[in-house]
Amino acid sequence: MTSVLIVDDEMFIVELYRDILQLRGYKVVGTAFDGEEALKKYSQSADKPDVIIMDHRMPVMNGVDATREIVRLNPRQKVIFVSADVMVEKEAREAGAIDFLPKPFRMDDLIEKMERLSAAK
Amino acid sequence: MTAEEELRRRQERFAYYMDLVGHDVLNNNQAVLGYLELMLTNPDIDQTTREYALKAITNVRISTALVENIKRTLATRGLDPSSLRPIDLLKALHQAERELKQFFPARKISVTVSPKVDEAYVVGDAVAQELLLHAMVNLARLDLEDKVEMKVRMKEQQCKGRMCWVITIEDVNAELPASVLDKDIEEVYTQDVSTSAKLTGMLFARMIASRLGGEFHVKALQGPDGKLGTTFTLALRKANRP
Repeated sequence: MTSVLIVDDEMFIVELYRDILQLRGYKVVGTAFDGEEALKKYSQSADKPDVIIMDHRMPVMNGVDATREIVRLNPRQKVIFVSADVMVEKEAREAGAIDFLPKPFRMDDLIEKMERLSAAK
Repeated sequence: MTAEEELRRRQERFAYYMDLVGHDVLNNNQAVLGYLELMLTNPDIDQTTREYALKAITNVRISTALVENIKRTLATRGLDPSSLRPIDLLKALHQAERELKQFFPARKISVTVSPKVDEAYVVGDAVAQELLLHAMVNLARLDLEDKVEMKVRMKEQQCKGRMCWVITIEDVNAELPASVLDKDIEEVYTQDVSTSAKLTGMLFARMIASRLGGEFHVKALQGPDGKLGTTFTLALRKANRP
């Protein structure tokens, strides 16, 4: 089962992703509400998540910086970047994100990307 | 502080607050859209409820487009269009058609493009792409039929002293409010509050087209059976293939 870490500072968004991913058979192994918390949880976890869903605009540390740090720790880590800031896509990809979804997106688009990454595991 | 500095400071502050509000609205739209889609995955919901949910999805997407229009308008202030990558209008039209169908999942939408050309590059990159989509969304909003048929025609022509690709998008069922027929969009928007709400998207389309060095015009279209449809004309500066 593909495992997922959800990083977003909005509780209702975290809940939405969790509801949908769990319904579609994915295992949500953790959540974080800012980039620093995500980095801390990631570096302390023994089993790394297969996929991280990463928001950008968050307090303490933004998604681009968190992605860069996480990918530096593990260059094979798959990060799907999701943000309402479409202008940040280039920066997110340069930081190591494997894909980008502009908010608001269709849940089917997220699941399609998850399926593709799961198949490539 | 000079008047210019004060104006710039106010514009920056306005852009900052709009950015914050826009970000929150998009996050909320994400949640509404997500849960509506989740609801639609339930095979037990009846057809009427399904149709209501699809219509709600359309309105969430339109609210998103309005926010994006404002963000795009703020972001393109003082833009140098030649700094943007060229985009092939044919690909942009196909992409816009796909996204248009996602805007209106409960309706049957078809877009035909003529004449056939191999490529049609214009300046504008993602800004031009969004502009096409928003023009089509605005036209579809004026059309109240379940089946929406748009005809897109393309031709090369001089505009503002340069060669442009001129795209006309027609829909014989997209009816403009009678009070705005043959009037300038900006004039209506600033002088007639009762109809301006319908035209916000068109006003933004015109502002963004102008910032790309192009033009955007709205005209009533005499359709068959006495129907009065609408034609949008968008002119964008021609560019070489990158």
